[in-house]
Amino acid sequence: MMNDGTASGSPVVSLRELGKVIGGKAVLRDISADIEAGSIVGLLGKNGAGKTSLIDVLLGFSPPSSGSCSVFGERSFDLPAAAKRRIGFVPQQDELLDSLTGAQQLALNAALHPAWDSSLIARLVREWEVPLDRRIQVLSGGERQKLATLLALGHAPDLLVLDEPASSLDPVARRRFLGELLDIAQSPNRTVLFSTHIVSDLERIANKVWIIRDGRFAWAGDLDMLQESVVRVTLSARDALPQHLGIDGTVSARSDGRRAQVVLTGWRDERQRELADRFSAAVTVEHLGLEEIFLELHS
Amino acid sequence: MDRDPHLSPPRIFTLEPASGVPIYRQLMDQVRRLVASGHLAPGAELPSVREVATEYTVNPTTISKAYGLLELEGLVQRNRGKPMTIAPLRRNQQALTHRLRQIEAQVDSLVLAAQQLDLRAADLATLIEQKMHEDEAP
Repeated sequence: MMNDGTASGSPVVSLRELGKVIGGKAVLRDISADIEAGSIVGLLGKNGAGKTSLIDVLLGFSPPSSGSCSVFGERSFDLPAAAKRRIGFVPQQDELLDSLTGAQQLALNAALHPAWDSSLIARLVREWEVPLDRRIQVLSGGERQKLATLLALGHAPDLLVLDEPASSLDPVARRRFLGELLDIAQSPNRTVLFSTHIVSDLERIANKVWIIRDGRFAWAGDLDMLQESVVRVTLSARDALPQHLGIDGTVSARSDGRRAQVVLTGWRDERQRELADRFSAAVTVEHLGLEEIFLELHS
Repeated sequence: MDRDPHLSPPRIFTLEPASGVPIYRQLMDQVRRLVASGHLAPGAELPSVREVATEYTVNPTTISKAYGLLELEGLVQRNRGKPMTIAPLRRNQQALTHRLRQIEAQVDSLVLAAQQLDLRAADLATLIEQKMHEDEAP
């Protein structure tokens, strides 16, 4: 068997203490994470947090300033052509040729890729209602985005990377598009990484989340674990609670004497009892939606 | 069962990705409730991981995690080449202590609040009984 870096167990993408400095400013710092085959990773961050910089380094468009970044077991910046062909990329600003029609643009890309899957593209053109007969310059933002995504899917990539996909799509088109991403990831060994600021999309289809804040990971791991780890706890005590609660993993805290609300990371169900005993308080626990978690981690 | 679950879309669950509760937990809770209420009887087939993932547009990993954990609990069973099914009743009944343990944390905080309000156990029990009967009403 060929060792191409995707044999079972070895990650598709591997980042180790990755740093990137642009114009004297550190835009990525100490980024470490792996992506296993079959994962759907959602990359979440505010504008300017470093999402696009991370994607650029990951795809080998620019070299890391420190640390390492590999895809299919090869260094990203010197990725061999064979490995590049296994990647599909949808940039934030599409690179469609305005003067061509959709059909011409598809034909052009099909000619460049020997393994072009015409039947998949034909099906998606129908399902996504992509107009092929008009010139690209007259297409709407959503139509352009669909076409750019088709171009990245046609050669059946093992790794699909999308920078802010679906942001111009209406809810119906977005849901179909997300369904398609799920389908792609369910083919064995396909992997999807997408950056987004639309938290509800990520909550549905990602199994891994990378939250990037000021160039660093605030979280890189399972979405399930993130949702279990971060909770809002309300303490209601008979007597006044201490001003400073000193609870491990506190992200934010509010208190008005006998009642306190604390957002915590590192939650385990056993902690409910511990807190109740420690503060002689009734303790209720709320799970937070990803949007709230995101806001709390940025507070 | 009067309907083959494969002929109709698996609409038996309500999954809310934005609720903050991990989807696998929502699914596990709902299967447990549907079994407890008899809506899913022993032998009833569950939709496949792929069917649930497609129907609700959610990541399949979280669905297979739910099914895997329910299998460990003995509530569902895997059948070679066939859909998963609700396990025979005896195994469900054994899971009662396990189910009670799962609600213990909530009971603890309820008990604490009750003590703070100087409520007696019997009064609390009556209230719980009333509430649970309200929910059971058709």
